[in-house]
Amino acid sequence: MTARTAPFNVRGLSIRNRNMYIYIYGFLLFLDELVFSMSGSSALSESGHQDSMDCLRATEKCNQDQKCSHRFRIMRQCLAGKDRNTMLANRDCQVALEVLQEMALFDCRCKRGMKKEMQCLQSYWSINIGLTEGEDFYEPSPYEPMTPHRHSDAFRLASIISGIHSGTSKGQPHCSDPSRPCNPCLDATKACNLNENCKRQRSNYISTCTRAQTQGQQPSQPQSQDSCNRKRCHKALRQFFERVDTQYSYGLLFCSCKDQACAERRRQTIVPSCSYQDKTKPNCLQLRNTCRLDVHCRSRLADFHTNCQMTPHSISSCLNDDYQACLASYTRLIGTDMTPNYMDSGHSNFTISPWCTCRGSGNQEEECEKFLQDFRENTCLRNAIQAFGYGSLPKPDPQPTTGSAKPDLEPTAIVSKTTMEPGEEPCIISSCANLNVPGSPPNTRVEDPRNSSPGTKALTAALMLGLLFAFESLTM
Amino acid sequence: KRTKRAKKRAKPCSLREVEVTVSQLGLGYKSDETIVFHYCSGRCTTSRRNYDLSLANMKRLQLLTKDQKDKARHSPCCRPTAYEEDISFLDNDNKYHTIQEISAKACGCV
Repeated sequence: MTARTAPFNVRGLSIRNRNMYIYIYGFLLFLDELVFSMSGSSALSESGHQDSMDCLRATEKCNQDQKCSHRFRIMRQCLAGKDRNTMLANRDCQVALEVLQEMALFDCRCKRGMKKEMQCLQSYWSINIGLTEGEDFYEPSPYEPMTPHRHSDAFRLASIISGIHSGTSKGQPHCSDPSRPCNPCLDATKACNLNENCKRQRSNYISTCTRAQTQGQQPSQPQSQDSCNRKRCHKALRQFFERVDTQYSYGLLFCSCKDQACAERRRQTIVPSCSYQDKTKPNCLQLRNTCRLDVHCRSRLADFHTNCQMTPHSISSCLNDDYQACLASYTRLIGTDMTPNYMDSGHSNFTISPWCTCRGSGNQEEECEKFLQDFRENTCLRNAIQAFGYGSLPKPDPQPTTGSAKPDLEPTAIVSKTTMEPGEEPCIISSCANLNVPGSPPNTRVEDPRNSSPGTKALTAALMLGLLFAFESLTM
Repeated sequence: KRTKRAKKRAKPCSLREVEVTVSQLGLGYKSDETIVFHYCSGRCTTSRRNYDLSLANMKRLQLLTKDQKDKARHSPCCRPTAYEEDISFLDNDNKYHTIQEISAKACGCV
């Protein structure tokens, strides 16, 4: 899959360097995939990625087996009761649980956007609802683990988009036009408007979310002009993000901004006046409870917590360095009760939060703050958004680069950089470099020692080739 | 010279497109968003009916008064027969607007 997209990335290069880049790029990709498949293979088989059945089929299968369906019925009764814990301590329940745990039923997951997703999720939660006691803060995701991406396609797409804007398109790119302020969010809107599907879906959710609620409105409520139909707005938003290519939707949502006009446009993307803001700000834990009553919201929140959780073990702060997974599960929260958004139109820094506060938490203030922090101070999410918007990886903050993590990150970093000419997208490249490493030279390509001279490039290629053969002979 | 003239002949009525900003539509909205504006353009000579030919002839023979003549069209016009769905955009004051029937979807000689 990665190899297929490769030729597109080379487009932005001058012909002189093109061949050289193709070779290096090819090697790096190959090596990257090789290393990853080797390191990732154990983890994949462990999580049962291949053999996990969807919950609808698993339930069906269980119902066909008399022994399983019998235990399943008992189990459901055990879980349905209000006093779940005492019920679970019951011997019959424990036996049923023990037997069922051996079956496929407990490993079942649902696919994102599958047919009958709702029923599948319902089936999932009916089995798993009581089993996460104690671990109530984070619930495991009912969705299949995403195929690991490690800042791949979306980020390459981002650079492809910026390539379109700077090179091939007829219109003048804003960022190289000195008479106009650089506004990547406006460029993303243009890209969307030029795509028939994106334009239609965008217009659809905007008109739904801005339409005043007229049906069923009593004439006694004259000030109904700014009250929209939130449910329909949410549905239209979910539809937009489900049906439109991420290359367009992420562009609108995660564009990188240098000024307030741009950041305000970014904040307005989801029509916050209807989909986000409310008259009152509920307590976050209360909002979480509301969310957990809804199968979709609960599942997507659990998925967000799974894919955007911070980990100290990687430079990116994300699990498996998978930005794509985090952005995808963040995006899927939009249009639920837990809809997140940018808090303000600050451009140098941004804060993301659902529409809630931790005031009035009582003795649960700590838990509430912890919950809110996963949105507001989530470095994984922040890095993922920045990496998308700026078309390259954010540099690790102050910590020194650890030797072990470096080879993992390097290849893709080069990929995203080489897709652009030095002078092509001055706004995007330099603002990225300036934002992450204050005071560093704007040209990130020179910064990278591996890219410094043709000689070193050739040397690296040779080294890679050697390594490649070594790996191959090892695997044989 | 003849070949040059042949080349110059306009294409038949069809849908064309141009990229414009919403401000350039001249509807009073101020927005830098770019949209694709579809419009109808081209000749309708091939779809002239007997009506058109007859009317043209009447005009040539001065059978209509000057006032009547000016307003009678003896050739079909290339016009939209259907319009695209609504287009929504964010203006420069961060307000959303939706405009209807702004872009042609199909053209015809009517």
